[in-house]
Amino acid sequence: MNGLQFEALLPYTLLAAASLVVILLIAFRLSHTVIQITGFILMCAVMVALLQASALLPVAIYPIFQIDGFALLFTGLLVLCVMVVGLFSFIYFEEREENPKEYYILLFLGTLGAAVLSISSHFISLFIGLELLSVSLYALIAYLRNRNNAVEAGIKYLVLAAISSAFLLFGMAMIYMETGSMEFATIAKKLQTSNGHSILFITGTGMMVVAIGFKLALAPFHLWAADVYEGAPTPVTAFIATASKIGVFAVLLRFFQTIGLSNYPMVITVFLVLAVASMIIGNLLALRQQNLKRLLAYSSIAHFGYLLVAFLPGNAAGVQVAVFYLLSYSITLLIAFGVITLLSSREQDTGDLALFRGLFWKKPVTAAVLTLALLSLAGIPLTGGFLAKFFVLATGAQQQLWFPVTVLVITSVIGLYYYLRVISTLFGEAVPTPVKKTLHPFFYLTTYTSLIVMVVLLCWLGTFPNDVIEYINRQLLIR
Amino acid sequence: MPLLALIPALPLTGFLVLFLGGRRFSRNVIAGIGAGSVIASAVFTLLWGIRFLQSPPAGGAWTQSLWQWFRVESLSVGIDLRLDALSLLFVFIITFVGALIHIYSVAFMRQDRDYARFFASMNLFVCSMLLLVMADNLVLLYLGWEGVGLCSYLLIGFWYEKPANCYAANKAFYITRIGDTAMAIGLFLLFKELGTLSIPGILNQAPQHFARSASYSTLIPLLLLAGGIGKSAQLPLQTWLPDAMAGPSPVSALIHAATMVTAGVYLIARMHGLFLLSPMAMSVTAVIGAITLFIAGCSALVQTDIKRILAYSTISQIGYMFLALGVGAWSAAIFHFFTHAFFKALLFLAAGVVIEALHHEHNIFKMGGLRQKMPLLFYTFLSGAASLAALPLITAGFFSKDQILWYAWSAGNGNILLWAIALAGAFITACYSTRLLLVVFWGEAKTPVGKFGGRLIYLPLITLAALSLISGFIEWPHNILHLTLFSDELQQVLPATILQENHPPEFLLQGIAATATIAGIYMGYHWYYPITGRIYRWQAGTRMLAFRSFLLDGWKFDQLYRTLFIQPFLYLTRINKNDVFDRVYSGIARGSVSLNRLFSASQNGSLRWYIAAVLIGILFIVTLQLLL
Repeated sequence: MNGLQFEALLPYTLLAAASLVVILLIAFRLSHTVIQITGFILMCAVMVALLQASALLPVAIYPIFQIDGFALLFTGLLVLCVMVVGLFSFIYFEEREENPKEYYILLFLGTLGAAVLSISSHFISLFIGLELLSVSLYALIAYLRNRNNAVEAGIKYLVLAAISSAFLLFGMAMIYMETGSMEFATIAKKLQTSNGHSILFITGTGMMVVAIGFKLALAPFHLWAADVYEGAPTPVTAFIATASKIGVFAVLLRFFQTIGLSNYPMVITVFLVLAVASMIIGNLLALRQQNLKRLLAYSSIAHFGYLLVAFLPGNAAGVQVAVFYLLSYSITLLIAFGVITLLSSREQDTGDLALFRGLFWKKPVTAAVLTLALLSLAGIPLTGGFLAKFFVLATGAQQQLWFPVTVLVITSVIGLYYYLRVISTLFGEAVPTPVKKTLHPFFYLTTYTSLIVMVVLLCWLGTFPNDVIEYINRQLLIR
Repeated sequence: MPLLALIPALPLTGFLVLFLGGRRFSRNVIAGIGAGSVIASAVFTLLWGIRFLQSPPAGGAWTQSLWQWFRVESLSVGIDLRLDALSLLFVFIITFVGALIHIYSVAFMRQDRDYARFFASMNLFVCSMLLLVMADNLVLLYLGWEGVGLCSYLLIGFWYEKPANCYAANKAFYITRIGDTAMAIGLFLLFKELGTLSIPGILNQAPQHFARSASYSTLIPLLLLAGGIGKSAQLPLQTWLPDAMAGPSPVSALIHAATMVTAGVYLIARMHGLFLLSPMAMSVTAVIGAITLFIAGCSALVQTDIKRILAYSTISQIGYMFLALGVGAWSAAIFHFFTHAFFKALLFLAAGVVIEALHHEHNIFKMGGLRQKMPLLFYTFLSGAASLAALPLITAGFFSKDQILWYAWSAGNGNILLWAIALAGAFITACYSTRLLLVVFWGEAKTPVGKFGGRLIYLPLITLAALSLISGFIEWPHNILHLTLFSDELQQVLPATILQENHPPEFLLQGIAATATIAGIYMGYHWYYPITGRIYRWQAGTRMLAFRSFLLDGWKFDQLYRTLFIQPFLYLTRINKNDVFDRVYSGIARGSVSLNRLFSASQNGSLRWYIAAVLIGILFIVTLQLLL
């Protein structure tokens, strides 16, 4: 590895080091606050390293990593999400019975896994990244180990993720048998020489799609999502909904693009079916859901269905739209889960919609923030969610994918119903609830601030998206 | 160049302050802000108006671009203001008469609970109206146009507790909306044809463009005319104005007499270039004006509600303006607007005093004898009524109406029939003005007179009374005195009136017009002077009674529309009570809910089932791929 490669890989090295630093800090018995602040600084350092590295790109660490503008965008988005999740984690875990310190090790390891996914160009790195992510998630989901539903969620995730990993490996093996390579670019080359329609290759991609579909919670592999979202501690839910999905989506995009899977109609058909099923099932499941965490789980199933519509054409415009979509989606979900974190009591997470009744009259700012996030999820103009959905529609319409586009429009209407239902609950008549004691004014303040900053960002994305889109385009050209 | 934006900005500021903080201010502060902002606008207008007249700007207009409102491809719309002779005149009337009415309102509305809301709405109205007449492009004009419509709605329904007032407000809003929609379509067509909505741009390009392709050259002015008809309460959209009298009297004076209802006149005058290209549109304008002035005049003759008399008279007088516009007598129409604003505002304000003094009595036949009780009011009312009746040589109304009558025959588009109708209208106007005056101020008092008045009430009345008499002297008929200050100034903007080749001598027509007026006054006197009182005997006949009620209901237009539009619509709603189309939507909703139940059943929390679902998914995918 030469100096250039080292420097390009530095953000990822730093991410790995972050876990080690946290272990050391725990060994020296430093407090939660110190760990929290150190973690935040480390993430900032990763961001700085990413910016530094952006001048050197593209760099390939042959054969397993490909660090380019695409990877940079996804890693940057991931790390930003983790920074916010970390912020939420402090007020959340400080109040819980469990020792919060080891949590950060797992969080950073999971982030590393997701980040590795975004740069991997080889089955080995793909699998390592995915497992890093999954293994951290098993523990993270069940972190509050005295709580039944957390443990249950952890086990469910463990079993199902293990099955999906098995399929992934199986699929990889099949493709390896067919092409004799595990590196994306070489596979693509081999496929061009052979006609690429062999049963082995087809079945292999099918198996891999299952694993990816499971991680992204696409229908029909979505069943775990609601249980896990509900059972996991809220910051972890936020992590699953954003960082973990971003990483998996990144590797899917890269694999898809490098191999040129858009030339294989049967793969496209599979994704089309997944997309349509996710949009319909996700939105319908959320329709009468009374728990906000489960509702957001269903909503994110639907949102990844929308996202697949942009992904189906497999062209550059689709990638650009996908990045923009993920950005606005992540901000929105982080806001929503941030609000849930803030409102959660010591005993249980505030998921039940009844607990949100009349929130506006008690905490107008929090309710307004949540309202904006939900409006963005519903795709109301002037929010990032609207433009993101619009771009997806435009990409789909340009490629004349009329069927998924129509389903998108119709299911969005269904979606509007349950988002508005939540919003109307926020403005309903207030029920008296015991006032929660605020433990750490500083962290509450920063959490509030971050929520408001994200809301401003969301509206900015919805009104002046040009700067962001240009930046995304510029980065995507580095390859 | 002066800061034009200040003129509409001051009332806008007044509106914002009163709207946001009105509840917290004392009545004096509210009055100060509400009236002060309009008075300040009026002062600026006067100062700049004098400057405009002394040293006219190059091109005859001051323009000011504030900022770009929006830009879509080639359409760029700015907040651009323009002050030329035509808009200056309108701005002067709006701010000056507006200021007087605001001063009057300070005292008139003093006891009202919603003092701040009243002034906020009035200020917003003044701002919108100023935008309408100062706009340099039709989009901004349309903003002002809709703004005045909104304020009119708010102020007609100002006393919203009474359902009838809300009904009147709704009626005004709906009916003017018909015109507004037509106008919007006209604007779209204009943009499609000319690619611009800037007023000077349209007036410049229209002649060449429509010379090449005349496809829309008639339709566009007719659509704009429809907009004007709605706002200006002309036939067939005139039915809202009499009901609009449900608002407070100052509102009737400012909005439904002096300014807003003349927006249609302004629009047509402003777009004269388009109308000149279409003889058909001009003729339609003239005919509509003529019929309206006659029909409304007849209705005014039999009304018993003092404000409804004035309302019908307003419709009728605006009919004169449309007639003048239609025959091509542009400056005559604007001149009538100018004098009408003074005397009609005066009459409404005076009527407000009468109504207040008589404890909210609107029926003129229950009034009477006010000449002795309220002499000052009597003299102001007398000058207003004289001006409305166009008493020759000493009132402003004479000078403006005489000009219209003269041009109705002699101008390019005029003919003897239009003149005859206008003449009949003049006779009727004189007749009902006399009737109004005699019944209210002569005879014995039938209702005890309360105390009402004060300096703030009478100052505007006296000012307006003076102007109703003298404001006509700036424009004399050519054959009497060569003094035409008004039309000289307006000819920078509006084309001069072209006369027909063989027209009758002007003296003759003037003589006939004056005779008609005097005859009308005599007829009014003959019928209604209390001692003779012939009308009361005459009224008893049943056939006359039916005819009278026909006129009283405004030629039954309301009933006609009810039968033609409202009842069929209500019938449709009745047979479609359980909306058929709603079934589709509730069906979708029910379907979604049952699908939701179905899918929710799959979320049973059992891991075995989840794994089975994953396996089924895999089988499905692999089969699908292999099949393809």
